[in-house]
Amino acid sequence: MVVIAWKDEFCTGNPAVDHEHQQLIHGINSVCEGIHDGPPDDETRDRLGDLLAHITAHFALEEAVMREQLYDEYQPHKDDHEVLLDHIRDIMCAYEAGVFAGRREDFIKRLGDWFGGHFGTLDARLHRVLGQAPDPVAMKISKIDLDQGKNEINVLLTTHGK
Amino acid sequence: MEFLKRPMKFAFLWLEGWFDRFFGPKWNPFYCLGALGYYYFWIVAASGIYIFIFFDTGIPQAFTSTEYMTHDQWYLAGIMRSLHRYASDAMVVMVLMHLCREFAFDRYRGGRWFSWVTGVSTLWLVFSAGVTGYWLVWDKLAQYIAIASTEWLDWLPIFGEPIARNFLASSHFDGRFFTLLVFMHIAIPLFLLFIMWFHLQRISYAKVNPARGLAVGTLAMLFVLSLVKPAISHEMANLAEVPGVLNMDWFYLWAYPMIEHLGPGFMWAFAGGGTLLLILVPWLPPKKRRPAAVVDLKNCNGCTRCVTDCPFRAVNMQPRTDGAPFREEAVVDPSMCVSCGICVGACPTAMPFRRASDLVAGIELPDLSVAHIRAQAHEAAVPLNGKDRIIAFGCDHGCDAAKLGINNLAFVPLRCAGMLLPSFIDYVLSKNLADGVVVSGCREGECHHRIGNVWVDGRLARERDPQLRRRVPVERLLKNWAAPTDRRQLFTEISAFQARLRDLPEDDAATRLTLVNGGKTDGTETSETAA
Amino acid sequence: MMKPAQIIAQATVYALFALGIGVLSTRPSYTHFDPARALIKVSFAHGGEPVTACRKRSRAELKALAANMRKASICPRQRVALRFELSLDNTVILSETLPPTGWRGDGSSKIYRRIPTTAGRHTIVAKLRDSRRDQGFDHVSRHTITLVPGQSLSIDFKPAHGGFIYE
Repeated sequence: MVVIAWKDEFCTGNPAVDHEHQQLIHGINSVCEGIHDGPPDDETRDRLGDLLAHITAHFALEEAVMREQLYDEYQPHKDDHEVLLDHIRDIMCAYEAGVFAGRREDFIKRLGDWFGGHFGTLDARLHRVLGQAPDPVAMKISKIDLDQGKNEINVLLTTHGK
Repeated sequence: MEFLKRPMKFAFLWLEGWFDRFFGPKWNPFYCLGALGYYYFWIVAASGIYIFIFFDTGIPQAFTSTEYMTHDQWYLAGIMRSLHRYASDAMVVMVLMHLCREFAFDRYRGGRWFSWVTGVSTLWLVFSAGVTGYWLVWDKLAQYIAIASTEWLDWLPIFGEPIARNFLASSHFDGRFFTLLVFMHIAIPLFLLFIMWFHLQRISYAKVNPARGLAVGTLAMLFVLSLVKPAISHEMANLAEVPGVLNMDWFYLWAYPMIEHLGPGFMWAFAGGGTLLLILVPWLPPKKRRPAAVVDLKNCNGCTRCVTDCPFRAVNMQPRTDGAPFREEAVVDPSMCVSCGICVGACPTAMPFRRASDLVAGIELPDLSVAHIRAQAHEAAVPLNGKDRIIAFGCDHGCDAAKLGINNLAFVPLRCAGMLLPSFIDYVLSKNLADGVVVSGCREGECHHRIGNVWVDGRLARERDPQLRRRVPVERLLKNWAAPTDRRQLFTEISAFQARLRDLPEDDAATRLTLVNGGKTDGTETSETAA
Repeated sequence: MMKPAQIIAQATVYALFALGIGVLSTRPSYTHFDPARALIKVSFAHGGEPVTACRKRSRAELKALAANMRKASICPRQRVALRFELSLDNTVILSETLPPTGWRGDGSSKIYRRIPTTAGRHTIVAKLRDSRRDQGFDHVSRHTITLVPGQSLSIDFKPAHGGFIYE
């Protein structure tokens, strides 16, 4: 079982954002659960496709909120969204081409890296600035470990001062 | 009405093709006839305000003050008077051409009835404004207009005394009348301005200003014309004389000889019946009304992209009704939706990579779903083979690529090019359904749904959401805006594109990666390629 | 940057548009009225007599009415139709019955006619019947005038000003 466990620290205070983050984590978990060392299969393709749709919609909503709130770092954040969408497509195409055949852990780690980097940095700042985080604390995902024994992705958060 | 519209449409398309070469699509006056109408209105208003300063009401002051402006202050007020006249003539031309063009291109049906009907109402206001303006000068032409207008109105059984009696003899006529006329000549254009604003209420991103080059050029043209042929008056009006030979402004006064020769009753029937017929045009057969877009709340998170992209303000955001944790949901007003599908092209969940069984977008056209388009793309790919397979996505109103007789090309029709989510291009190429994708639609500036091709331009250039993904190899994508009269051009472009596809190396697009090493998103990138 | 050919093409288009506006804003000229002829305009609005004479109310009738309604006489609202005739140089050129306007026929009768004629000396006779009589005319006017080419002569009728007015 491979899983990213939802933690309360992930809450941003915005129910829509939290809902979509949970949805995305669930999506990543589904993909990781289904991945195997064999050739690419339709189910994984579909799950990746659904994940792409969810993340695209989530980014669209987040960008609408940023524009509405006149967020000062809208453009760099939006640029990062576009990069992330490019990357998930890369992951999908690499999977399709069999790049990850026999490299299940690489795939899981890549997917985790893809999600965690943005979530822990730019998203954290966004929700802090918009005053949506329950505590005005900078959260940074310091590292993502694949605990090979438990097949869990541990997301470690480091709290910083204001 | 098709017998009337077809030749008009092809005449416009032919002319616009030439004007695209002379002016370029951005400056082509045919693509902003309405905007030019607005622009000329502002010139008329500004010049009118100036000459109003010098205009005197009363007899003979109305005439003498106008003569002063025309001759004594020819270098300023005289030019303003000429600008005022010629800009208002130009405005009539723009309004009528705009009406004919929208009619010819079928851009008045369904939810677009509102723009059409409000536009028709401006005709009466424009002509009334012009007629009252000529009346103010109180020369022989004004006398003729005054008598002819009142005689025409007297045909209606609504006046106790014939109002033409006001112009029977000098003793009947009071200089105070000009105060009324000035009021009318200001009030009618003000009301026209209100209707011009109203006319745009069901349109987003309305073009009310022509391109700068066009604005400068056309103003210079009017200015030169004002210098070369200043507007002058006839002899002063004299009710003891009959106006004989008149230099008519045919843009505004064409109806008066008709009243004289065909009778006032005929003219009322013509004007009244003609207006009624014009108003009813949106509802005349053949009526084709497609079902409006529908929102699927399970797939809508209220991101507002459909609202932003809708050219007809048919979608708006309202508080959530399904208990989902999102703040808002998109709501479609079916009375305003023209079923163009541009909202679908903006929706992030209209994603062809999704699981087929769940492929329902947040906003869809019921009779042309995203799932159906995807299925059509797959079906289209089946008979294609070789290295130059092309799937062309095109709209109902542009040049039909399917009819060009190009081998190894399959066509997937859309309501509007703006309906195409850029992900479809990515999908077709990455799934190897084709070697190249063509996106075609109405000629630039001629989109049947106003801005579909503009949105596609932005999305493919990654300047507008949703953006084309960077991994899509642009050498395998051809975008070409072509009208039905541009068959040869489209044929040439697609054929050349197909030849280029044959020369491309076996694509590693499926394995091309642009992953950032270690998942960093700090702008530093390294590429990995497939093992 | 525009190519020279484009600049020339645009200039040509502007020139043609300007030419079109410049020409059609004054040409072709239109002859509304033959300058060699003259015009007679007849127009008046005048109410005829009531169709029947007014009748005095009897004492009993007055008593039966509310105090504020006790008008001494009853007059019908409807007016007679006017009879108008115009002769020019002993030829009758206009002969019309002008009904009263209004739903109850209680408004003025009105006329507005334009009669082109030759310039020169003319004798005009205007006749109007506005009473209940069956024959003859109540107002007759004879006027001799020399009309110059392009002149517009108006014939009005205003009892307060003495009847027919020629301007």
